[in-house]
Amino acid sequence: MTSQDASQRAKFTIPKTAYGLIAILVLLVVASVTTPSFARVDNIFVVIRAASLTGIVAIGMSYITISGNLFALSASALGALLAVLFALLTAAFGFAAGLVLTLGLAVFCGLAQSLAISLIGNPIITTLAFGTVFRGLAALFSGNSILRIESEAALWLGTARPLGIPTQSWAFIIAALLSWFVIRHFKIGREIVLCGANPKAAVASGLRVGLVTAIACAALSIGVAIMAIMTVSQFSQAKADLFMGYDFDYIAAVLVGGIALRGGKGTPLQAALGAVLIALLQNFMLLHGLSAGVRMTIVGLLVIASISLFHILQGRGR
Amino acid sequence: MLRMSGIVKSYGPTRVLEDVDLAVEAGEVMALMGENGAGKSTLVKILAGIEPADGGTISIDGATVSIRSPGHAQAAGIGYVAQELSIVESLSVAENVFLGDETLGFFRSAASLARRAKPYLARVGLDHIDPLSLAEEHSVAERQLVEIARLLSRKARIAILDEPTAALSETEIVRVKAAVRTLAAEGCAIIYVTHRMPEVFDLTQKVTVLRNGKSFPAVETAGLSIGDLIEAMLGRQLGQMFPPRAAHAGEEILRLDACRASGLKAPVSLSLRRGEILALAGQVGSGAGAVLRMLAGVTPIQSGSVTLEGSAYAPSGIAGSIARKVLYCSDDRKRDGIFAVRSVPENLSAPALSAVSRFGLLSPALEGEHVTRIARQFGLGERFLGRLAGNLSGGNQQKVALGKWIGLDPKILLVEEPTRGVDVGARSEIYNNLRNLADEGLSIIFASSDTQEVLGLADRIASFFHGELVRICNADDVTAESLTRDVTRASEAA
Repeated sequence: MTSQDASQRAKFTIPKTAYGLIAILVLLVVASVTTPSFARVDNIFVVIRAASLTGIVAIGMSYITISGNLFALSASALGALLAVLFALLTAAFGFAAGLVLTLGLAVFCGLAQSLAISLIGNPIITTLAFGTVFRGLAALFSGNSILRIESEAALWLGTARPLGIPTQSWAFIIAALLSWFVIRHFKIGREIVLCGANPKAAVASGLRVGLVTAIACAALSIGVAIMAIMTVSQFSQAKADLFMGYDFDYIAAVLVGGIALRGGKGTPLQAALGAVLIALLQNFMLLHGLSAGVRMTIVGLLVIASISLFHILQGRGR
Repeated sequence: MLRMSGIVKSYGPTRVLEDVDLAVEAGEVMALMGENGAGKSTLVKILAGIEPADGGTISIDGATVSIRSPGHAQAAGIGYVAQELSIVESLSVAENVFLGDETLGFFRSAASLARRAKPYLARVGLDHIDPLSLAEEHSVAERQLVEIARLLSRKARIAILDEPTAALSETEIVRVKAAVRTLAAEGCAIIYVTHRMPEVFDLTQKVTVLRNGKSFPAVETAGLSIGDLIEAMLGRQLGQMFPPRAAHAGEEILRLDACRASGLKAPVSLSLRRGEILALAGQVGSGAGAVLRMLAGVTPIQSGSVTLEGSAYAPSGIAGSIARKVLYCSDDRKRDGIFAVRSVPENLSAPALSAVSRFGLLSPALEGEHVTRIARQFGLGERFLGRLAGNLSGGNQQKVALGKWIGLDPKILLVEEPTRGVDVGARSEIYNNLRNLADEGLSIIFASSDTQEVLGLADRIASFFHGELVRICNADDVTAESLTRDVTRASEAA
């Protein structure tokens, strides 16, 4: 094999984002043909809504992955803590103050984690421990009871449909585009990508690796805060065991979207597409009456298959 | 006994071995010599089953063998001691001797293992150590000897030793040489990769020289002079690839006074002028690279003082040296020189992101201009700009690793091994680029183990051996032979 063959082939490489889109289209067509109830407008809304909140967190998670810090395992627990705090703050100071303070606390939690990651050097272990702390604090602050809020503004945020589209989905779409723009066109976005691509070269080039980890952790925390605030607003209540067991869903969206595990490759849009793809698949399986166990197994297998596929494609591209 | 013929190997577009022949007889020690990047390590890795060959045949005792994995190599009686030792520090010496030996079975008592290890250890001169002691308690030289004992225990018929003495002191080298003689006396055919002249003349019967991926017919060591050997290694064809030296150097820009740092055994004093290219010549571990790492802020200045443009210079970390416009390219571009999974333009603008953005937003126009300027200056063609840096040839990767600094208007460029793993054509371009930059007023210090490069590129040469500065000369007063003598301690072999 000569070098010319290699470069010829490289020219025909399909962009990674396209794989996610192709998979979504294939699934849409198959599902519409085989399942009449799938293509109905209200069902599509169900899918988009289901994908939205997970998708917003997955977009935040993609910052962690792209920056070379693998994954944070504290997202669901942080969500519970922020949900409890938002409910308490809204009850005490009103909706607007609750919103702002919750976002501020989210950033603080992100920065605390990034500091520990920079010191310890292992994001998995660090965020696993932080997750336990967050879940514990959520139980502590909520007194293990259900907290209720009464706020018109919150209810609007949780249930309104401007232009017929749920607020959650608006937030999802805006978050996806904004995150993509930051990664693609902001100086800090480029720094995130480069630090993930090769942290040693990043240090040698004078890039701010510590700052990059901080921004990535803060981005995830803001995503989690949006999920928490929207969920509490929708149901007007919060409790400490919210989002329990959701961490794999966020990570699965990032992986199915084809973002490289080792960092430095991919865009938040891929994570968003991954979330949509998983939600579509879940809904399709649900309509076919597959049991929860079967659905879980299939989603797990999909993650394994997509990691393997991207691994093989990457190996061939080299 | 062992015959390798017509071995061919490429890494991507870079051909590292073309039509290499090598033959070793039983009981013979064969030196495998050549400059860095000549293909020595690749050749022995093919024999050890670590890298697959693209073509050629390997035969042992006249029978062709196929070696596609380290397991095949072991089954064929080939033992390999790599540059990076494969000693498990948390296991005992005896367990290390029999590491991976499946004939012993699952159940073996520590005592019986120790008893069986004893004779092998004795033959490599380690009879005084306790086989049950942990490997981590022993020196690098002793671990090296344990590896040789492992070859003995496996009854290896062909042994490959890849620079076994690179990290050892003179007294330790004596012990390794004795162990190698023992191995040869048992009828083992030995391929001995080294850079050190004294060992070649002391230990080996034949020498095979590799140059730019091609082999020369083996010659008897006894009938060889150091001059012949150096000439075979360096060749003469590279003479045309170097640009003319600087007509005149400017005022002094950097001065080191009695500086010590990790990797240096004696204080180093030297100076650098504006527009000058200074070479630090020396093999791995000579201290040449240590001086660069100290100036780059990678390792701290332990004592002594450095003056940059009249004011004290003591960088705290890489960011500190970058802030003073002292920029550093390490010898391992894959590790910290390039972002392999990112495109060439993104690599070239990486250190200069502030310069190519406005209000925190990247400006495609500014970045494009920046990248085009570097690419033009470093001869990186348009067609490379769309590629990932990791998919470029070694030469173009090195242009990216060096070129990314140019946008920062450096005062001093520190380059470790500027053309390691770079093909001949790209080398010449890189030399010309560096000289052009120097002519524009940039001062360059490079560390290199490549004699030809040191002689061809530098205005002045500081030679290093074993952590000490040997001497500083004008390049005009140095010959390939005198330099090679300085950096290999050839005087001890003569």
